Amino acid sequence: MRNGEYLCLLGPTGAGKTTILRIISGLTIPDQGNVIFDGISMNKIEPEDRRAVMLSQSYALFPQLTVADNILFGPDIRQYDQKVKQRTLAEMLDLVRLTHRPDAYPSELSGGMMQRTALARALASGASVLLLDEPLRALDARLRISLRHELRSLAKSMGITTIHVTHDQDEALVMADRIAVIREGRVVQVGTPGDVFDNPASPFVANFVGQSNFFIGTVEEKSESTSVRGELGHVVMARPCDHKLGEKVVVGVKVGNTEVHKEGEGYFDGTVERILFEGRNIFLDVDVSDVGRFSAKIPSWRLGRLAVGDKVKIKWSADKAIVFSMPLGGLEKELRVE
Amino acid sequence: MSRLERATAFVSKPRIRNLWTLIVIVFFLAFVITPTLFVLTYAFTNWDLIQTEVIQDPEMMSQIWTAIANSFEIAAIVTLIDILVGLPMAWILVRKKFRGKELLDTLIDMPLAVPTAALGFSAAIFWGITPADLTNPLGLKIVSSPFLLIILLHIIFSYPYMVRSLSAILEQIDQTFETAGQTLGASKLTAVRTITLPLFRAGLVTGIILCFARSLSETGGTVAALATVANTDFNTAPTLIDSLKSTPALAFTSIVLIILALVLLVVVAIVVKKLHIPFRKVWPRPEKILSRGLAPRLKDATSVLFLVFIVLIPSFFVFTFVFTSSPSTTTDWSQFGQSLVNSFLIAGVVTVIDLAMGIPLALYIAKNRSKWLPETLDILVNVPLIVPTVALGFSLKLFWTGGTPVSGPFAIFLVMLAHIAFTYPLMVRNVTGAVEEIDPTYEETARTLGAKPIQGFKRVLFPMIKASILAGAIMAFTRSLGETGATRAVSTTVLTAPNYIVNLIKLENDYYAAALACIILIIISYALMLALRYITRRRKGVS
Amino acid sequence: MPEVSLSHITMRFGKVVAVDEVDLTIADGEYVTILGPSGCGKTTLIRVVAGILEPTQGEVRINGKSMRGVPIEERDLGYVFQNIALFPHMTVKANAAYGPTVKDLPMEEREQVAKKYLEMVKLLDKMSMFPSELCGGEQQKASLARALATGAKLLLLDEPLSALDARVRVDLRYELRRIAKSLGLTVVHVTHDQEEAMSVSDRIVVMRAGGIVESGTPEQLYTRPRDVFTANFIGETNLLEGWVKQRLPGKSTIELRDNSLIEVENCDPQVGEAVVVSVRPEFVFPFTDGLLSRIEYLTYMGTYWRVSSRSQSNDMVEFDVPSIEGKLYHPGQEVYLMFNRNAAVVYPRPKEGVTEAVKLE
Repeated sequence: MRNGEYLCLLGPTGAGKTTILRIISGLTIPDQGNVIFDGISMNKIEPEDRRAVMLSQSYALFPQLTVADNILFGPDIRQYDQKVKQRTLAEMLDLVRLTHRPDAYPSELSGGMMQRTALARALASGASVLLLDEPLRALDARLRISLRHELRSLAKSMGITTIHVTHDQDEALVMADRIAVIREGRVVQVGTPGDVFDNPASPFVANFVGQSNFFIGTVEEKSESTSVRGELGHVVMARPCDHKLGEKVVVGVKVGNTEVHKEGEGYFDGTVERILFEGRNIFLDVDVSDVGRFSAKIPSWRLGRLAVGDKVKIKWSADKAIVFSMPLGGLEKELRVE
Repeated sequence: MSRLERATAFVSKPRIRNLWTLIVIVFFLAFVITPTLFVLTYAFTNWDLIQTEVIQDPEMMSQIWTAIANSFEIAAIVTLIDILVGLPMAWILVRKKFRGKELLDTLIDMPLAVPTAALGFSAAIFWGITPADLTNPLGLKIVSSPFLLIILLHIIFSYPYMVRSLSAILEQIDQTFETAGQTLGASKLTAVRTITLPLFRAGLVTGIILCFARSLSETGGTVAALATVANTDFNTAPTLIDSLKSTPALAFTSIVLIILALVLLVVVAIVVKKLHIPFRKVWPRPEKILSRGLAPRLKDATSVLFLVFIVLIPSFFVFTFVFTSSPSTTTDWSQFGQSLVNSFLIAGVVTVIDLAMGIPLALYIAKNRSKWLPETLDILVNVPLIVPTVALGFSLKLFWTGGTPVSGPFAIFLVMLAHIAFTYPLMVRNVTGAVEEIDPTYEETARTLGAKPIQGFKRVLFPMIKASILAGAIMAFTRSLGETGATRAVSTTVLTAPNYIVNLIKLENDYYAAALACIILIIISYALMLALRYITRRRKGVS
Repeated sequence: MPEVSLSHITMRFGKVVAVDEVDLTIADGEYVTILGPSGCGKTTLIRVVAGILEPTQGEVRINGKSMRGVPIEERDLGYVFQNIALFPHMTVKANAAYGPTVKDLPMEEREQVAKKYLEMVKLLDKMSMFPSELCGGEQQKASLARALATGAKLLLLDEPLSALDARVRVDLRYELRRIAKSLGLTVVHVTHDQEEAMSVSDRIVVMRAGGIVESGTPEQLYTRPRDVFTANFIGETNLLEGWVKQRLPGKSTIELRDNSLIEVENCDPQVGEAVVVSVRPEFVFPFTDGLLSRIEYLTYMGTYWRVSSRSQSNDMVEFDVPSIEGKLYHPGQEVYLMFNRNAAVVYPRPKEGVTEAVKLE
């Protein structure tokens, strides 16, 4: 990781994200391998000397201390000068918009305020690495969305290297400089949000970060784009690939890039099974007989003419679809999100 | 760097932390576990003595077996009754909201602070048919069987343990389970029986062990009660040990008692865990009728009445005694004063040592759960709770002195060691439980914020478990203050307040003085407990 | 067939009023979501319906029958808990069979019913496992099967998805609606997640501070919310303050704080009245003239970029551009923004101020 970078560790529950944070902070000792800060191995360094502050899901605000005392916990331990402490406190309260509540106890605060206090406490301790373990999970969905930007810009403005663990792909896309997708203890892909979304390394990533439709077939032709033929004769187009002709592959395309039309040409003919209004988008399920269900996410202002039961064509542009090797354990196992 | 900082840095070194843990473990093994079980070795070293002096003496053997059988029967009946009446009370305390709940909560603990010797005397004059010179017009005088009397007595001081351990578990069982059951169509009673009760097993085991062990090992109260109703030939195992003089017989009884207790409790633990409470069979109609209306109210009322008439009134009945009889002139009050000093001295020292040695062990156990050593220690810690204290006292004396009579300051020192052995587990269990309830992320966060482990403990964990530590200290202190059996087994010359009371009743038949001494002891114990409660409350208010 | 009606429901806990005079009717077969931020009283309300809480005032009627004094177990409803609450000492099958068991149905029937619903949630292959062996999504499915197996036609869902991973949540909410509709259930679903609410419900009831703000279909609430709080809570929106300059049928003009003008199709407030205009980011687009704004930052959203800019009057204005156009914009750049005029909704300016009126906690 680079200095001052904001990295999201994204993966399902039980993927080992929190363990990584604990290893970085020194709370868990790895069986093997090194943690290196600024070129120095941290293996023999105790957690308290690493300057890597952990912010847990529940915030772990000390219930017997006020907001101010919580924030001053780090400076107190490090025995900063009284004046420095007061200045830090004032700065921090201002930064997290809590100047009006320094004497409140954690139990009197709302979820958002607790989260901000915990953040201020971490920043005040002079941390150079911030380890956030699902910092927004305990908050309401809507509040979570509004706090994303605030959290990121706070970390950015302090120039702190941040590692943020989350299971929420939207959160990761919106907040990260880079995303590391983790599954079953392994890093599956590391890249910018754009990379991870547009060029997923595996069907799992394609489906986990924004849903995807998948189609299984064999490579039929390779030119400027790849054409893949399914068992029942359907042919779909995708980006160029390195797979051999005749190889069994999986084509993945984001539901947001799947187009549904009533007229014109399409890879599949299907029937609209369900239409769900999701606000900005409409979520559409189209049943293609013998092939399965395709979903599409269409901006809602473009809807209007479609209704359940309509016969439609499904299509996507070749440069939005990616060819993957057939996963060893089968597609279903690869896509499991739990 | 200031001296304090240097000290903090020093004790934070992993090597020093490990050394301290090692010292505590060694202390635990050498001063608590080994002396407690030492008597078992006597069977190997002196089997011929046991053979000739005990086993070949049919009269002695029958005496021992009768006493042991009495003890186990009483303990079993008492435990069963405690479970039956403890469950509804635990429900009232945990699930109900009402005015006066706090009072009820306090009332339940009250017998715990009364030395059992005082309880024994008090219960005997309330229930028992007493000799003519011990007239008390207010006493019920309906119980003539010593067996029944002892059961009634043992219920008094084991009941709080049962209620406490049951409510502790009930608090942890999410009420949503029961509600879920109801939304699925189960009546309240069905939901409780099929969902909550099966989840109770762990709590039931703890409760059974505590009650059973407490009843099995109780000496002072039993001696006092039996002496009060002037019954000379009825014995429980502890009272028999208390009266036996020959070392082989003492050793034999202690060994049998310890082994039986351990075996039985292991069996109980297994049986309760395997026990299959039937939840496939349901009786929708009767269970529905019992779930609402009169039945639950009747159940609650019975629980409260039981508490008042079986537990509380007999405990404090002794207060009526001083008003209904006249003082004797021969009482030596200076001896009572001395015994009080002794009791408080012993209890105080014991509590301090428990604190110093118990907290580190508790932390070690609570924080290293998955490893074998802490896991083993956790099981071992319970052993002194199960071993009857009088056997424990005898075993300890055998360990340190080889069984020779002791006196003077050394005897007091030995009594302290004995008291540490059976109070130490209380402290460790209390603190372990508290630490395990606290989310470890608090301390971990503190460490990533730059706090050394000792600072993390002092500033974060300690304030959170302070109340439990204090509760452990109060428990250890009152248990030590009220103990009779272990003290007498170690030395009859160390006069503690409960011993003094037993002597007054048993040897001098000076009931008035005994009653007065009981009352004074009760009042002092309460004053102390209230003071401690007050301190904890105030601290809570400040923080 | 269940129809639920609540009249004047008030719930007090000591001095705290959790639910204040709520009236609500839920039609038979309707999927209704109660949506609101933490502490708005939504969970209290559903607990009142279930009979877990007895309301301080007011009456719950199910099927026209008053529920006063009727215990939980006789209300004939299914309830799914936020913390899942599968009985840990029973297998998945025994959990699902609990409803039939406590009714003392014959053994074969218990088995049959349990299996039927476990099959519906696709858990038949895991029925002999204990709950702790399942992952979160499967646990919640099992608990749904358990609730359905009682045969109840009224299903109460108390934040059923909030304990689950984001991705699992998305899959499961479609599942919930599919099952509810295929069984013809009446559903009351409580959540704080507006996306979840929109994708599952026939109707959303928005709650705040113990009262109902408004209710309507997801589409109504997203496109034409009657309250400015709803506008911000359900989906993100730009809120611009100004006053009505001109008011004509089908075309009104609003003057914003930086004196720029925007046109809107519908405007209820009168000329001169202080108003706040709500326009969603997808209906704002850069143009050759319009509201002058300076871009502050861009956020990648997968299929599009969201651009956040600040107008001269210091209002935050966000707009969406397709992902391929993301490169055309950068922080510091000045853009002119136009608004889709039939997508803008005008509200009278709230007395307590806009920030206070849309506060999330």
